Amino acid sequence: MYAIEIENLHKSYDGLPVLNGLNLRVPQGQVYGLLGPNGAGKSTLIHLLLGFLKPTGGTLRVFGQQDLEQVRGRIGYLPERLRYHLRYSGREYLRYLGQFSDLGGSGLNARVEQELGAVGLLEAADRRLATYSKGMLQRLGIAQALLSDPDMLLIDEPTSGLDPAGQREMLDLLADVRGRNHTIFLATHFLDEIELLCDTVGILFAGKLAAEIDVQSLRAPGRSVLIKVADLSADLIERLQRISPAVRCTGREIALQPSTPALQAQVLRVLLDADAPIIALEPQGRPLEDIYMRIVRGEPAELPAAAPPHGMFAPPGHPDAITRVLESTDVTPPARSGSGDTLLRELLKQEQNPNLEKHEPESET
Amino acid sequence: MNMLTRTLRFTSFTLVEYVRSGRILVELLAGVIFFYIFLRRWTSSPLPEYFFSTAGLFALALTFYSTSAALGLGDRPQGYLLLVRRLGRSGYLLGFYLAAQAIVWGIYGLISLAMALYNPIQGLDVRGWLLGSLPLLLNAMLLGALLTLLAPIVLPATGRLAVLALVAIAFSGGLIGGQTLADLPPPVTAAINIARTIFSTPLLPAFTGFALSISRDYSGIAFAIPLAQLFLTLGLLTMAVYVFARREIILSGG
Repeated sequence: MYAIEIENLHKSYDGLPVLNGLNLRVPQGQVYGLLGPNGAGKSTLIHLLLGFLKPTGGTLRVFGQQDLEQVRGRIGYLPERLRYHLRYSGREYLRYLGQFSDLGGSGLNARVEQELGAVGLLEAADRRLATYSKGMLQRLGIAQALLSDPDMLLIDEPTSGLDPAGQREMLDLLADVRGRNHTIFLATHFLDEIELLCDTVGILFAGKLAAEIDVQSLRAPGRSVLIKVADLSADLIERLQRISPAVRCTGREIALQPSTPALQAQVLRVLLDADAPIIALEPQGRPLEDIYMRIVRGEPAELPAAAPPHGMFAPPGHPDAITRVLESTDVTPPARSGSGDTLLRELLKQEQNPNLEKHEPESET
Repeated sequence: MNMLTRTLRFTSFTLVEYVRSGRILVELLAGVIFFYIFLRRWTSSPLPEYFFSTAGLFALALTFYSTSAALGLGDRPQGYLLLVRRLGRSGYLLGFYLAAQAIVWGIYGLISLAMALYNPIQGLDVRGWLLGSLPLLLNAMLLGALLTLLAPIVLPATGRLAVLALVAIAFSGGLIGGQTLADLPPPVTAAINIARTIFSTPLLPAFTGFALSISRDYSGIAFAIPLAQLFLTLGLLTMAVYVFARREIILSGG
């Protein structure tokens, strides 16, 4: 069953089209990212899903219901702008919101304490929200969205307008939420959020779904990787370059182009055996960014694996559907791209358990 | 938990915010000023008719302010987090209406209490107070319901203009454009007279309610006046909830 089903959705404001024949399906349990430039209609779509706005045309179903009043209470919402009723304390506010969601009694108190604890606000729970920092309000936003344990979370631009520390804190919180098995629909224009949190990304452009990509396929090896080391002797360079013509050493950097898991593991093993201090392991290039920029510029974009035709959705099982790279049971959120330490650990884990590579699609480049 | 309970909880939520924001000071101050100017003991104790006529007008003015202020709280982005919950649109709208009514009833109660303590009304017992207060407060409910229907979050500008035009037609002749209307060609005047009769009929309970509050004479058909006030109030609220449930919500204020 799908959490969200959208067919040929149109929405215009005063005759100005914002969504122009959008087709989209989000299976239950999936973390779906909707990527698009500012003004693409992402927030409009979320407000349509919440029933605040009415479609100009087309159909929109949430959990199979076209009447969105029927699913009220099954959806948690984290709005873009963190506006709260600041004259209440965190605990008071969550209790009221819980009551509006039909929670009550000791169950409500337990849920409030649980969510306050989960976002680290227990100590500040009796302070007025007006005294909260922006970071604390972000955490409260997560707590209120999860309070009634909704089946689906709609998250709108969660890091918009935050400083880098605030963005990091929000992403860490959302990474925790990702492990709680809710269906999540995340609208953003930040690629990092998609790469960190989502299973699937849809790119919204010109009011339509311009592309839909399995995020795991973007993380797949096979692209170039740069390994930075503190010292690289001539002997070590020679040994590394003997491994494969794909290994090229420049200064204190080792480029693997193209890279494969086996090649990476082999190079890393040589470096570890030689006690070469590894500083970083960085994937080169950001395929999602490349695809996104090409779509926004109106250029043809090469999608990883088989992609559905532009503006059309290919359901799972359809020949056009994108093959998942890893099993969906792997709920551990991946690290942000460029985190060499995490990649190193993943690669060594793959070397220890080569069966993992069986999930790689044949068509992968 | 049913819709009524959720709505009452939201009413309490709104009242707490209203009080903590200090907005309630406006109503309290207005009540004190009103009492000082109109109800303080100057020479002799006031008559019940004087109290109910002045308090009736004050309650309407207070209703106008409090309902507008409370409904203004609904047009803020904070409302999205409430509307997404089971409270829903009807609970959201009615919560603001009830909060405003609670404020008006509370201030009226305080003024009545102050009168009983500092300037007792001649020959008015509790029964008489209740009989005079009932249509007075029902009129406050009626005006609050009309203001709720006319609120920007409920009716779009064209709808508000249409309702106000109907009200203007209902008041035409006596209060608005009397001589101008009389100078119009006879067919137009006849058409306006018919329209006025149609559209002013729903306003009858408000006017007669005001008179009933002063006279406190429920004999004959007069007992139906509070019922008519109540039904008209419910009708307006139903219309407001119906329109609010079907319109797009774009909260902008705050």
